[in-house]
Amino acid sequence: MPKHIVRLILILVAVLAVAAIAKPILTVDSFYRFGHYRANSVPEIAAQEPVYQTPRYCYGCHTERRAQWSAGSHKTVTCEVCHGPATGHPQSGKLPIPTDAVKLCTLCHEAMPGRPKSQPQIQVAEHSGGQQCTVCHNPHSPKISSAATKVSGDAAAGKQRAAACASCHGAAGISPNESWPSLAGQSAPYLVRILSAYKSGDQTDPIMTPLAKELSATDIQNLAAFYARLSCKSADGSKSGGDAAAGKALAKNCAACHGETGSGGNPAWPKLAAQKPGYLVNVLKAFRAGLRKDPMMAGVARGLSDTDIANLAAFYAAQNCQSTK
Amino acid sequence: MTKESKPTLAARRAFLTKLGGAATCAAAGAAALAAIPGASAKTEPAADGAAFPTKDYDWTKHQWGFGVDATKCIGCLRCVEACKRENDVPANAHQFRTWVERYVHLEGDDEVHIDSQQDPVNIEASGSEKTFRFANRYKDAKVYKAFFVPKLCNHCTHPACVQVCPTGATYRTEDGVVLIDHGYCIGCRYCVQACPYGARYFNEEQGVSDKCTWCYHRITKGLQPACVEVCPVGARIFGDQRDKESPISLFIRNNRVQVLRPETGNAPNVFYVGIDKEVN
Repeated sequence: MPKHIVRLILILVAVLAVAAIAKPILTVDSFYRFGHYRANSVPEIAAQEPVYQTPRYCYGCHTERRAQWSAGSHKTVTCEVCHGPATGHPQSGKLPIPTDAVKLCTLCHEAMPGRPKSQPQIQVAEHSGGQQCTVCHNPHSPKISSAATKVSGDAAAGKQRAAACASCHGAAGISPNESWPSLAGQSAPYLVRILSAYKSGDQTDPIMTPLAKELSATDIQNLAAFYARLSCKSADGSKSGGDAAAGKALAKNCAACHGETGSGGNPAWPKLAAQKPGYLVNVLKAFRAGLRKDPMMAGVARGLSDTDIANLAAFYAAQNCQSTK
Repeated sequence: MTKESKPTLAARRAFLTKLGGAATCAAAGAAALAAIPGASAKTEPAADGAAFPTKDYDWTKHQWGFGVDATKCIGCLRCVEACKRENDVPANAHQFRTWVERYVHLEGDDEVHIDSQQDPVNIEASGSEKTFRFANRYKDAKVYKAFFVPKLCNHCTHPACVQVCPTGATYRTEDGVVLIDHGYCIGCRYCVQACPYGARYFNEEQGVSDKCTWCYHRITKGLQPACVEVCPVGARIFGDQRDKESPISLFIRNNRVQVLRPETGNAPNVFYVGIDKEVN
C-alpha cells in the first residue's frame, strides 16, 4: 500500500480514537438518559420559583376582601391581575393599589371591535365624564349595589309606618311644599340606601336623623316598598327661577347615573324627574358645600354655579316622571 | 451518470472496507477506555430512582395540553404581561413567549388587518414598551368582523425545532412539553427559523433561544401556567390530557377544536376554538 494512504489511515484512526474517547468524557452523565438531551436540565427548569401565587395565597390574610370579591362579578379576575404578582409580599412590602383606574379598567372594558358581546364594555368618553371608575364602582365587586337592588318590603306594613311621614312628604308621597322631596314612585333601592344612611349616621339631617334612628331594617324595607309603588305626579306647572333649557344641556352630564330625563339609570340612585325644584336646589348646594356626603356627587356639584343648580332643578322638575329614560 | 472503470471501483471498495475495519477497532478501544471508572464526566449527581423530574412529580403520569377559546378573548393582554414577569422575559415590546393577535375585517376590504401588541400604534397606546394595550384604532371604522387570538408555543408532538437543534439543547419531555436547556444552547437560532409558528425568539442578553415552557416550573408544582392563571375570561385552558375530566380534556371533547398549520406535520398540542382560516 502506498505510504501516503497508510498515513492517511493512521491519521483517521487517531482522530476517530480521540473522538471516541473524548465523547463519553465530555458528555454529561444524564445526556442520553431519556434521549438526545441533558435529563438533568428538566429538574433545573422545574426548580424555578413561581412568581404569581394564585388567590389562595392572598386568602390567608385578606379574608374580608375575599368574601366581597368571590361574591361579585369580578370573581374570575384574580388578585394578581390588578395588584401584580404577590411573591415577596408581605415581607418585602405592600402590593400596588392601582391609582389610574380608568387606564386599568379600560384594558378590559373599553368598547372595542373584536371584544365578545358578553364582555361589559363602555364608551370611555361618554361613560364617566373623566371620573375615576372607583368613584362609583367597587373594583372587588363592580356591579353597582347589586345586593341593594332587591327590596322585599311589605307595602301594606309600610303604609302604616308612613303615616308618621305624611306631614312632610304628603299622604300619597307627594310633598306639599318646596323644601321636602316627593317620595312617590321613587326607586326602592335608593330609598333603602338613603334611609339606612340616615339611620347609621352616614347621612345626617336635623329632622330625618332622629326619625330614621327609630326605624328597624324591616321598617325601612317596608317604607321603601310602599313609596316605590305610589304613583308619582308630574310637573304641576310650579315655576322655579331656573331655565329648564339651559338645565337640559347640563343634565347630559348626569344622564349616565340618573337617566336622560331623571327617571332611568341605576336603581341605586334617585329618580329626579318631577322632583320639587326647591329640594333639588338645596340638595345640590349641600353636596357642593360638603354638608351632604357622596364621593360622586361632591365631584359633580363642585363645578356648578348657583345658576347652574337652579337650571338643573328647573329641568328635572319639569320632566315626566312616568318615563323610563 | 458517468461510467467508472472496474479497477477504480474495486480499489475504492477495498479502501472503504479497510477504513471501516479501522474505525471499528478504534471504537472498540474507546469503549474499553470509557468503561474504566472515572473516565467519563461525573459532573452531575446520579438520579435517585424516585419520581422524575422532582420528588413530588412524576412526568410519566401526565400528558399536558392547552386550549385557546378565541371567542372569549377580550385582548386585555394580561397574559402577555404575566408571562413576562413570571418568566423574566426581556421587558420590551418585541420579545415574547406568548402574544395576542387581532384580526379585523373592514367592510368593502378583502384584506384582513392583523396586529399584535408589538404594533407601533399599540405601543403608543400603552405608553411604554413594558406594558401592553390594544389601541382602539378601529373605533370609527366600519368593522365587518373582528376577533382576538392568543398565541404561544404549540408544544408539538413532532417538533421541527427539536429536530434541527445541533446540540440537543431543546427536547420534548415525557409529559409533552418542549423545553430549552439554556446551558446547552449555543445560540445558532436554527430552531427560531424552523418553528412554523414563530413561537421562539432569540434572547440577545443571554445568547440563547427562548420560548414558552407552559410554565413548567408551575405545572410540576400543581399550579396553572401564569397566562392561564391571570386570564380574566377563561380564554386559556390548561390541563392533563390523560385525565378525562381535566379542563383541557373537557375542552377538546365538548368543542370542535382545530390546531394551527396541521399540514406541517408538527402535530401541535394547543387546540383552538373560534378562529378563521386566516389564523395560522
